[in-house]
Amino acid sequence: MTSRGTPSRFLQSVLQNGVGRYVCQLKRLSIIFSKNAQSSLGVRGFIEEGVVDYAKYNPSTVVYVSPQSCRIPKIVAEYLNGNVREEIVTSKTSIQISEVLTKLTNQSGLDIIRLRKPFHTDNPSIQGQWHPFTNRPPCIGPIRPQKQDTEQGLSNI
Amino acid sequence: MASGLLLNRGVLTLGIHCQRVCRNVSVSQVREKKRWMKSYTHLMAKKLKLEGPPAPKPRSLQPQWDFHAEVQAFSSRLQENFSLEALKRAFINPCYLQAELERRRALGLDSETTALALKDNIQLSEKGEGFTKSFLSDWCRANFPRLRREGVESVVAHLTSSPVVTYVARNLGIEDLTMSAECPVPDDVLHSTFMAVIGALEESSGAEHAGLFLRDFLSTQLIGKDLFDMWTVVDPMGLLVEELTQRNLPLPEPRLVRAAGASTVLPPLVLCWACTATRSSWLRVRGRRS
Repeated sequence: MTSRGTPSRFLQSVLQNGVGRYVCQLKRLSIIFSKNAQSSLGVRGFIEEGVVDYAKYNPSTVVYVSPQSCRIPKIVAEYLNGNVREEIVTSKTSIQISEVLTKLTNQSGLDIIRLRKPFHTDNPSIQGQWHPFTNRPPCIGPIRPQKQDTEQGLSNI
Repeated sequence: MASGLLLNRGVLTLGIHCQRVCRNVSVSQVREKKRWMKSYTHLMAKKLKLEGPPAPKPRSLQPQWDFHAEVQAFSSRLQENFSLEALKRAFINPCYLQAELERRRALGLDSETTALALKDNIQLSEKGEGFTKSFLSDWCRANFPRLRREGVESVVAHLTSSPVVTYVARNLGIEDLTMSAECPVPDDVLHSTFMAVIGALEESSGAEHAGLFLRDFLSTQLIGKDLFDMWTVVDPMGLLVEELTQRNLPLPEPRLVRAAGASTVLPPLVLCWACTATRSSWLRVRGRRS
C-alpha cells in the first residue's frame, strides 16, 4: 500500500530513554511451544541450551517457558510501553531463535511502521530560527534614552 | 482448492476438533466445510456489538505471571538495588486490601483467620511525595538559578502532577505490578504507587540514588516543554517591573526596533521593552506586534 494508506510515525523514544539512564524496554518474554511437535524442535533445542544463558544475561526481562499443545510455536514479547509482539518461530533452529530474541531485546516497543523522518531533534535551531529581520540593521538606529543623560547610555539592539 | 481454504479458515477460528472414537483413541479431524461456522461467527459478532469489548483483566490474572520474578526484574531493569520487601509493600494499595477483605468476607471466611498480613503503601507514598517535591525544587533552583520562586513551584507542580507521573509510571511497567481494586488502575492510585516506589527506593538505597532516579525519569519530562505552558503568569508586566526593581534598574519603556512596510495595511513592527542602564548591564524583553 502507499505511505498514506499505511500508518506511519515519527522517530521517538519511550520516556526519553537514554537521556537519563538506559532501560531495556523488553518487559517479559513468553516462549510457547509444543513438547512433541516437529515444528518446535528448534525451540526445544534453544530451551535446553540457550534460554538460561539468555535469562542470566538479561536480568531485566522475565522469561516464561510454557509448553502447550500447539501447532505453531511462538515467542510473545511484551514491552514497557504496553505493546505486545508475537514472533512465530516454526521450524527455526536454535541459533535463529536466539537471533530473534536478540532482535526483540534491542527493540523499543514502538510500532514497526514507516518512519516519516530518520531523525528527530528537540532543538531544531541553535542560533535562532531565521526571520526576515535577522542580519538587518535596525531601522531607527541605536536606541537612546529619551532624556539625554551624559552618564547613562543604552546598549545597541 | 476452495474447500481446502475453507477448511483452514475453520481450523484457525476454532482449533482442531477432537472426537473420541473409542476409549484410547481420539481422532482430531477437520473435514468438510462447517455449516454452523457462519452463523456462529455472526452471533459472536452481534454479541460483541451488544456488550462491547470484554473488560480488561489485570496482568496478574492473565497467564504467565510470577510476582516475585517480576519485582526482581523491575528492580534490575531500573539498575537500582531495591530491598524487595519494601518494593513489594510499595505496590500494595489500601483499596486492594479492602477489596480482598470484602471478597473473603463474601466467601464466608472467618475474618480473624484470614486477616491479610500485608501492609499498605500509604506511609511510603507520603514519604516519597515529600522527598520528590523537595528534591525537584532543589534541582530546579540549582539548574535554573535565575528562575523565580513561583516559576520553580509551577515547574515542580507540573512534574509531580497526575498526568506526567502516571505517564511515566505506565511506561516503566508499574501498572502491571500495582495491586489495586479496579482494572485499569485509576490515575490517583497509580500516582500514589509511583510515590511509594520512590519512598521504597529512598529507604533501600538512600537519598542520593532516589534523587538520581527522579532526575533520570521525572526531570527528563521537561524536554521539549515551554516554561510558560507550565507557569501561567497572571501579570507579566508587574513581574517584569518587579524583576527590574530587584536588580536596581529603571522601569522599561517601549521602543520600536524593526519596521517594514510602514505605509501598508499590516506592517510588521517589532517593539522592544528597553530600559536605560549603565554600560555594565542591560536588560531587554522583546515583544512583537504584526
